[in-house]
Amino acid sequence: MTIMLKAVSRRTVLKSAAIGAAAFGLRPDLALAAGQTVTLADIGVGDPNGDWSTYTKETGNTVNVVSIGNGPSAVLNQLIAGGGRQSYDIINIVGGMQNPLVENDLIVPLDVSRLKNWQNNAYIAEYFKPGSKGFDFIGYEGTIYGVPTVLQGDSFAYLPEKTGGTLDSYGALFDPKFKGFVALEDNYTTAGQKTALYLKSAGLTEINDPSDMSKEEIAKVVDFLIEKKKEGQFRVIWSSFEQAVNLLVNQEVYVMDCWEPMVFAAKAKGVDAVYAKPKEGYLLWAMAAYLVKGDRSPEKIEASYQLLDYMLSPEYGAMITSLRGYMTNPQAPAFAAQSDKFDEATAKRIAEIDAGVKEKFEAGGTWQARWPTNIETYEEEWQRFKAA
Amino acid sequence: MSLAVKRRDPAALVLLAGPVLLCALAIIVPLVLTLVVSFWERKMIGMQPGFTLTSYGLFFEGARFSVLRRSFFVAISSTLIMLLIAYAVAYLITFRLKPSRTRIFLFLLSVPFLVNYVIRTFAWAYLLGRTGPVNQFLLDLGVINQPLDWLLFSDFAVYLGLIAAYMPFMVYPIWLSLSAIDKRLIEASWMLGEAPLQTFLRVVLPLSLPGVFAAAIFGFVGAFGEVAVSQILGGVGYQLMGNAITSSLDVLNYPMAAAMSTVVVGCMLIMLLLWLRFFDLRLFLGKVLGR
Repeated sequence: MTIMLKAVSRRTVLKSAAIGAAAFGLRPDLALAAGQTVTLADIGVGDPNGDWSTYTKETGNTVNVVSIGNGPSAVLNQLIAGGGRQSYDIINIVGGMQNPLVENDLIVPLDVSRLKNWQNNAYIAEYFKPGSKGFDFIGYEGTIYGVPTVLQGDSFAYLPEKTGGTLDSYGALFDPKFKGFVALEDNYTTAGQKTALYLKSAGLTEINDPSDMSKEEIAKVVDFLIEKKKEGQFRVIWSSFEQAVNLLVNQEVYVMDCWEPMVFAAKAKGVDAVYAKPKEGYLLWAMAAYLVKGDRSPEKIEASYQLLDYMLSPEYGAMITSLRGYMTNPQAPAFAAQSDKFDEATAKRIAEIDAGVKEKFEAGGTWQARWPTNIETYEEEWQRFKAA
Repeated sequence: MSLAVKRRDPAALVLLAGPVLLCALAIIVPLVLTLVVSFWERKMIGMQPGFTLTSYGLFFEGARFSVLRRSFFVAISSTLIMLLIAYAVAYLITFRLKPSRTRIFLFLLSVPFLVNYVIRTFAWAYLLGRTGPVNQFLLDLGVINQPLDWLLFSDFAVYLGLIAAYMPFMVYPIWLSLSAIDKRLIEASWMLGEAPLQTFLRVVLPLSLPGVFAAAIFGFVGAFGEVAVSQILGGVGYQLMGNAITSSLDVLNYPMAAAMSTVVVGCMLIMLLLWLRFFDLRLFLGKVLGR
């Protein structure tokens, strides 16, 4: 056993030395971090199908992608109780959870001057300005903690053959015409907020800010949902990607509050599903990658910063847009068009996705609040809705 | 070797101490921690050690209490249904099936468990849907004119899902219990002139009750804490206690989740104590093990 360990150790040292020398020769500033393996805990969106070749080529580091749940309890439990603070270097999750992550001392502030791709990213400048709602997806109390990796605007899906034409309002979710053929997501920060956006836009309830409602406002939203539930408006409240896709594919429901990739999945299975462009606007959100707080060497931290920077690169953005259908990097469409890495059709699709999501952000709506001020009331009220 | 000799044997004591300690660490410690945390105070996103009944108060006053009542009702009623089915199946296996086929039948009962439980539940959703095979079959037969909505996302679907998930587990303890009955007692009942039904009610059923109660615990515990079946087959927010506890964890309300878990564990403990009070577990296991 001793001999084996020595052999591995020697190999590792030789390999590291070779990579280090190569990296030093090419980019002296990066030599410090070469030979590192950065562990990226991801919810299944940020992995470019294992293709980290450019990052490895440029830095001499490798990436180990592991899965992490997206729910607040899953993330915190994996970081606190699951040993994630030591085993994960970066977590890439839906943003907006800085409050519990920072208060539990699980992530560290970012030094964005170490990210060369940060400065020339027009989306960061436009959508994540300090003080804006978008900033809440990457920052907390004025400090930046996350690198925005994907951006999206959510609305709802429908089956035009069944609904008899275009639907352009969240009111369709509550339209008696579709009674018993509507599904909502089991999530107060998505279904709850979309309902609030509709009630506010339609002038049915006074709601100051659908993204951060008072206790009374969320109670009014839930009262409305309970009324509709008792009328038999909803068929089901879905809670997983597969379940939602099957609801559309099996035509169990005709109108569904959901995410756009579910429409892509349903279309891929031959179903004519449409993702609505509601006049009330969209539920806007972003994913963010955070540096996990832990006992790490300067080399590992440097390698992690290099990976965050790569995740801000046009190449990574183009790959994720192509694979997942989300907007990522303002230069991703141009990169895809010019790079040999993508064929013409894929490059065109990346440009279309980028333009489509940009259109959503221009249309506006409300930013999702993953950790609203009164989150406990949200949860209590959602329980009331489900138990009604 | 007698028990007294074992007690004096230090090596045996050491050997026993390991598993006992492991059980204590794996079972008792988490339960005690859950109980302790249930009295702690929630502070922002964390919690503060102390003694408060706030979480219990919120639980019994809020919507979650109705979830507890529903969970009780669903768990008890589904357990009764499952017991009826499981008992009939176990009875047939024990008294009507050739011994050579018993093993095959018991193996077949375990086959569904080779498929992931959540996938099996999703399969029910597909089968029972408006456009699913069951509705299609009934439409083709002309039994119905339009799809039956209540097949899926309904109480019916939840009960079906629970039965499919837990009933097979319940067959085994009942079968064990029935197999352990001394056949001479049944023969004696016949010889003394009791009708088959009377023999069943006065001999077989009472002697199989420890297994029935064990099966009831399997079914009740599973149904009471169920998460996936209610979520996938239940429809608009159909919740059982497992779902309510998960929901509290999502907002990091650990004292509330602990309070609910404590209530659930308390209910289970009461059932176990009743079992121990009314049945001699050693006798049951002794018979099964042929001692």
